[in-house]
Amino acid sequence: METRLCSVFLAAALLSGCSWFHRGEKAPTPVVADEPQGEPTVIEPQVNRREVKTPKIKAKDFELGAYFGALSVEDFGTNPIYGIRAAYHVSEDIFLEGFLGRSKAGQSSLEETFPQITVVSNSGRQFTYYDLDVGYNVLPGEIFLGRGHAFNSALYVTVGIGDVKFADQDNFALNFGVGSRILITDWLALHMDVRDHVFESDLFGVDKNVHNIEATLGLTTFF
Amino acid sequence: MRPLLALVLLLQAFHIDLAHATERYLELVVTQPYLEMHSGPGRGFPVVYVVGRDELVTVLYSRTEWYKVRAPHGQEGWVRRADLALTTLASGEPAPIPPYPDFSTHRWEVGAGYGVYNRQNLVTAYADFSITDSIDAEFVVEQALGTLDNRYIASFGLRHTFVPEWKWFSPTAGIGTAYQYIEDKVPPAPLDKSNQMAYASLGARGFITRRFMWRADWRHYVVFNNLNVSEELEEWKLGFAVFF
Repeated sequence: METRLCSVFLAAALLSGCSWFHRGEKAPTPVVADEPQGEPTVIEPQVNRREVKTPKIKAKDFELGAYFGALSVEDFGTNPIYGIRAAYHVSEDIFLEGFLGRSKAGQSSLEETFPQITVVSNSGRQFTYYDLDVGYNVLPGEIFLGRGHAFNSALYVTVGIGDVKFADQDNFALNFGVGSRILITDWLALHMDVRDHVFESDLFGVDKNVHNIEATLGLTTFF
Repeated sequence: MRPLLALVLLLQAFHIDLAHATERYLELVVTQPYLEMHSGPGRGFPVVYVVGRDELVTVLYSRTEWYKVRAPHGQEGWVRRADLALTTLASGEPAPIPPYPDFSTHRWEVGAGYGVYNRQNLVTAYADFSITDSIDAEFVVEQALGTLDNRYIASFGLRHTFVPEWKWFSPTAGIGTAYQYIEDKVPPAPLDKSNQMAYASLGARGFITRRFMWRADWRHYVVFNNLNVSEELEEWKLGFAVFF
C-alpha cells in the first residue's frame, strides 16, 4: 500500500516536474532576424565567382588546296595543267567542291600537218575553267602501306557544271570526275583525280561535243 | 649571343603560347557504359578503342557529324555525333554539342545550281540571309553561256516563303533588281552592253538532309534598255544549298 502511494506521488511529482520545465514557454514562433528600420542590408558573398567558359569545338569541314597534272584538250594534244580547289563537306558522304584551273593547249593535228593554217590564235590557246561540283564519297575506306601504316581514304565521284574558256570563247561545260582522297594526316590529304570537261565546240566547222580529260595530283588541307 | 638569347626567349614564349592554346579543348565525361572510337570519320570505319564510363575524353575538332577525340591515355579516334551528345561536362551538364540549324528558321544559306536564262545555259551561285522566318534577302551571281553571247548577271532581291514550316516542299515568291553585262561572241555587237533589270520570281525550296537543301526558281525579267521596245527574259534554275 505504501509503495503504491509512493509511486502515485512520484508520478505526480514527475508530471509536475515536466510541466515545470515547460512553464513560461510560448508557442514556437518563426525566427526573424532583427532588421534595422529603413535600409535593408544585403549580404555580399565574399567569394570570387569563377568564369567558366566552355571551349568551343572547332569544325574542320573546309578543304583547300592545289593540283597539278596533265590535260588532254581534244584535237590539241596533252599539256600541263594546274589549279586550285576548295571543298565544303556537308556530311560524311556529300561535299560541294569548286575548281579553278589553267592550261595551255598545243597544236592541233591540222595545224601540225599544214603549218600555214591557224585554227586558234596564240592567246586563244589558253584553256581556263571553273567548275562547281557536287561530290559523293562512294567507297570510303583505308589504304595500307606495309604493316604499320593505315591511311583513311575515299573514292569519290563528282558531277558539276562550269565554264571553259578556250579559243577566246566561254563555253558551258559539264564535268564528270572520279578521284581518290588519301588522308596523310587528319588535316592533309592527297588527291588523285581524273575529270572530264565536256563542252560543245565548232572550231573545226561542225558542232561536236569535245572531251577534255585531265589527270591530276593534288594536296589539300582541312581547316 | 644576344640574338640567340632573344630567339630562345621568343621560341619559349611561342611554345608557352602553343601549350596554352592546346589546353583550350573541351573535356567531356562518358556517362554511358562505353564510348566507341572509330579509326575514321565515317560509319564503316572500325572501332579501334573504347572509353569506359566516368572517363574523360578531350574533343579536338569535328568533321561533318564526327568528332575527333582523345582518350585519357592518349589514344585518338572519331566519335559519332549522336554518341558524343550523350556525354556530359564535368559539372554534370549535357555536352555542348551544337544542334543542327533548324531548317525552318535557319539564318544563312549558300548554294549553286544550273539553269536556263534566255535559252542559254546558266551557272548560278547565291547567298541568302533570312530577315525573318518567311522573308529573306538573296544575292545571286550568274553566268549565262550561249552561242551568240555570254552574260554575267548579278541580282539582289527579297523573297517570301509562304509556309516556312513545310519541310520538304515550300513555295516561294520574290521580287528584285538585277544587272546584266553582255559579252558578244559573234557580230553584230549588242546595242546595249549592260542593262538594269527588274524581276519577279516564283519558286520552291525543300530540306534534303542535315544542312543540305534544294531550291528551284523561275524568274521573269524586265530589261530596261535605251531602245523603245520592251525586252523581257525568262530564267529557271535548280540548285543545291547548305544552310547555317
